Amino acid sequence: MNTRSNGTGGKKDLGEVIVITSGKGGVGKTTTTASLGAALALRGQRTLVVDADIGLRNLDVILGLENRIVFNLVDVAKKICKPSQAIIKSKKSNNLFLLPASQTDDKDVIDEAEVRYVLDQFRREFHYILVDSPAGIEQGFRNACAGADSAIVVTTPEVSAIRDADRVVGLLSSKGIEARLIINRIDFDMVRRGDMLSVRDVQDILGVEILGVIERDEQIIVAANCGEPVTYNPKSKAGQAFTRIAGRVCGESIPIPDLSGGSLWGRITRKLGVST
Amino acid sequence: MFNTLKKKLFGDNSESKAVAKSRLHFVLVQDRTGLTNEEMAGFREEMVKVIEKYFVIDKEGFDIKYHRLADTTTLLINSPVIVRRAGSFGSHSTSRNVDEPEGAAASNI
Repeated sequence: MNTRSNGTGGKKDLGEVIVITSGKGGVGKTTTTASLGAALALRGQRTLVVDADIGLRNLDVILGLENRIVFNLVDVAKKICKPSQAIIKSKKSNNLFLLPASQTDDKDVIDEAEVRYVLDQFRREFHYILVDSPAGIEQGFRNACAGADSAIVVTTPEVSAIRDADRVVGLLSSKGIEARLIINRIDFDMVRRGDMLSVRDVQDILGVEILGVIERDEQIIVAANCGEPVTYNPKSKAGQAFTRIAGRVCGESIPIPDLSGGSLWGRITRKLGVST
Repeated sequence: MFNTLKKKLFGDNSESKAVAKSRLHFVLVQDRTGLTNEEMAGFREEMVKVIEKYFVIDKEGFDIKYHRLADTTTLLINSPVIVRRAGSFGSHSTSRNVDEPEGAAASNI
């Protein structure tokens, strides 16, 4: 499935490509790509985040790099520039780089083979390549999935987002790409009140491994305002969640709170036999 | 009083989350199978008829579920069997565990 065995460098020298997708727009794909990229970079992993949302780029803004763009993904695909000329180092980390999208082209200006070619130019230099997919399931989505070794599907605990996530998981599965789930913007007060689907509910419905859970957090907006990934804010719950997710991506076994016994209070009430 | 307190403290699953769950269940079955509401209802009705030919079943408990596993979607039909219809098997001797309270059939779609 993946193209890691090409060339003579050996499999271990090639980075892992993960596509971040969701189907529905506005659930937090770009924020997840930037924040997870920053968290991986903080762990010392050389990480490239790729904006595959051609025509509607935003990853540059979330990372605060919008005024440094010279070349972009399409330029690399069309061999207008050298791959190394198009990537931009992030302000805060020497390990985090951005390959921006073109803002003036259409999504179908490049095809899946060209995306694979672009990714192959960077696989040797990075441990992780995160590809931020556009919303939808059309050509832009297919391009973003080209060359991906695995997928992270972002959803929120809402009917419409979960429905779209289910569709995307099915499409990824038909391409042979394994998907893991991030549940974004969960509000545990609402879950307790019975007004929001729980982590377990979402997992039961979608039947996909949960990679992480991110609480609704105002600091995400603050971080986006400033063009700095929320990961750099140690007080932010969302930032801490992305740090844990990066650990899981790197193979660490870090339990998902809501799936492993729940809160202390929940465990006590269950022990006492109080049904919740 | 205690119930209100319990509801306040521990949450109550009978709130809007339950509605979300059942709506999702409904919409995902449609999405995953590609069947319309009418076709689903028809499928269910025909399945009940087929099983009733051989068993007396508890129609209330009859349930069709769609589980997605790693790379396949599984159709799980759960039909509580009250009793085997006398003599209905005649020459068929393929089914053995007909006295079990529950019968489940699974098939890949």
